[in-house]
Amino acid sequence: MNKKRIIYLALGVMILALLLGCSKKPEQELTDSKAVLEAVAAEGGEKYAKEELNVIQSEMTAAQDEMAVQDGKFFKNYDKTKEMLTQVKAKAEALQAELPARKEKAKTDAQAALDAATMAVADAKALLAKAPRGKGSMADLEAFNADVQGLETALTEVQGLMTSEDYFVALDKANGIKDKAAGISTQITEALEKVKAAKKR
Amino acid sequence: MIRGLIQTVFLLIVLSILTGCNSAPVPPEVSEAEQQQLGLWKAGAEIYMPAEYKTYKRSLRDGQLHLLSRNQRFAWFRNYKDIKLEFTNILAQGKVLEAKVNEHKRIISGNIANQIAFFQNRIETLRKLASLINEGRLSSRALTKAELQLAEICVLSERQCYTDAEKKLKGMSMYTEQAANSILPILNRYTDNAKITKWRNWVNEAVEASKRRQSYSIVVSKVDKRLYLYKSGRSYKTYEIGLGTNGSHDKLYAGDKATPEGKYQVIKKVPGSRFYRALLINYPNEDDRRQFAIAKKKGLIPQRAAIGGLIEIHGGGKRGMTYGCVAMEDHHIDELFRIVDVGTPVTIVGAIEYENSVTSAMKEL
Repeated sequence: MNKKRIIYLALGVMILALLLGCSKKPEQELTDSKAVLEAVAAEGGEKYAKEELNVIQSEMTAAQDEMAVQDGKFFKNYDKTKEMLTQVKAKAEALQAELPARKEKAKTDAQAALDAATMAVADAKALLAKAPRGKGSMADLEAFNADVQGLETALTEVQGLMTSEDYFVALDKANGIKDKAAGISTQITEALEKVKAAKKR
Repeated sequence: MIRGLIQTVFLLIVLSILTGCNSAPVPPEVSEAEQQQLGLWKAGAEIYMPAEYKTYKRSLRDGQLHLLSRNQRFAWFRNYKDIKLEFTNILAQGKVLEAKVNEHKRIISGNIANQIAFFQNRIETLRKLASLINEGRLSSRALTKAELQLAEICVLSERQCYTDAEKKLKGMSMYTEQAANSILPILNRYTDNAKITKWRNWVNEAVEASKRRQSYSIVVSKVDKRLYLYKSGRSYKTYEIGLGTNGSHDKLYAGDKATPEGKYQVIKKVPGSRFYRALLINYPNEDDRRQFAIAKKKGLIPQRAAIGGLIEIHGGGKRGMTYGCVAMEDHHIDELFRIVDVGTPVTIVGAIEYENSVTSAMKEL
């Protein structure tokens, strides 16, 4: 009889242990995941990986929800929470590792656009410089000169954007400058050709 | 008895472990709603419909929490009927929100397109007006900046980044106003009725004199960029002319590059001019001297400034750069040179008509 009681007690303890499972709250996993996510945001995640960051943040919320549910239970089981947090951390770390390359690509693209824009403005300026002064379309040339001055001011703004690491804005602005400078060069060439044609007549 | 009960419980536990989570599957609406939420976020629901999106997200979160709580139940007792219903409702709520976001974006994009068109038109008009008065140098810098900003707005709008596009649109007026302010003082000369009346009277006097004396009279209209030759009170010839930078202003002193306005006459014919052929006029006349003295007294011109002279109607091409003179094509000055004599009246005015090219272009502003 005594022996039977011991067996029942042991069985009861086993069942209880099974139901309680791994009841240790994954505080460390939570802190680690949060830290990686914060680092991703601080390192430009919002700028260079907005969509992925948003997905991971949603998964983090889901993990926290799962943890809150377990917190409220008598028989706590944080296995799933742990698994979710581990996944969040792994994804965030992978994204964090990718950020420098994305940032570098944005920087390289913006710099290339800025170089092209600078060259286009220099071309327009060179065309203006070799245009005959005095007789000729002086008023037009002065207007073009003011156009080029406007482009040069805009180029310095792009430099500022590069310094503040606003590469996407810098890229768009530089592309706009390049197109406008090319347009001005075409107009200058056309104006000069008109003057030449008039002289021949 | 007790032994039987224990055996039953034990059997049940073993069975439950063996069957695992063999319960009803989670309704597909759950993952659909999660995908929908991601889609709404991407579409900018958070930006364009913040209150509705917050309500939707709260509903989704409630649903997710209900699902979580349901998943904690013993597998055999799990039932997702109400969860399915809840997520069906969330999906419906999301669809309504999606429609609202799309409609909102459609309206914003329409407004942005209208504003882009408005500014494109304004820039074009300002360029046209600046060109009419030969003063592109004053407005081009600001207009170039405006064009660059507008190009960025177009790109942002194409990418559906409407909030950023709207922000940039707010800065557009600054550039166009800057450009307008640089040329408006000059343009306003050609819309000033009192001035135009005065100029019309001068022209009428010149035409009348030509009729009375049965001779030639020259009238130059700056805004029309035309030189009209009258013979015995009738329009005889019309030539296109060019003015220099600042030519739209009335001349006040030497070096201001402005073309004088007033009643003059040809005082010398120069057949071998630096600019092909030239008709020298008697600038400054008495009125010019009076204006010059007043301007100097008021400090409107440099104290050391001289009144200047040597104002001509010359060749060299109408697109030629002049410093206050009236430039013509060589074959036109050839003809005019042959026709007119010394003493021919020359009347230079800003405009002859109240409705001129500047007033009509300004209506588009």
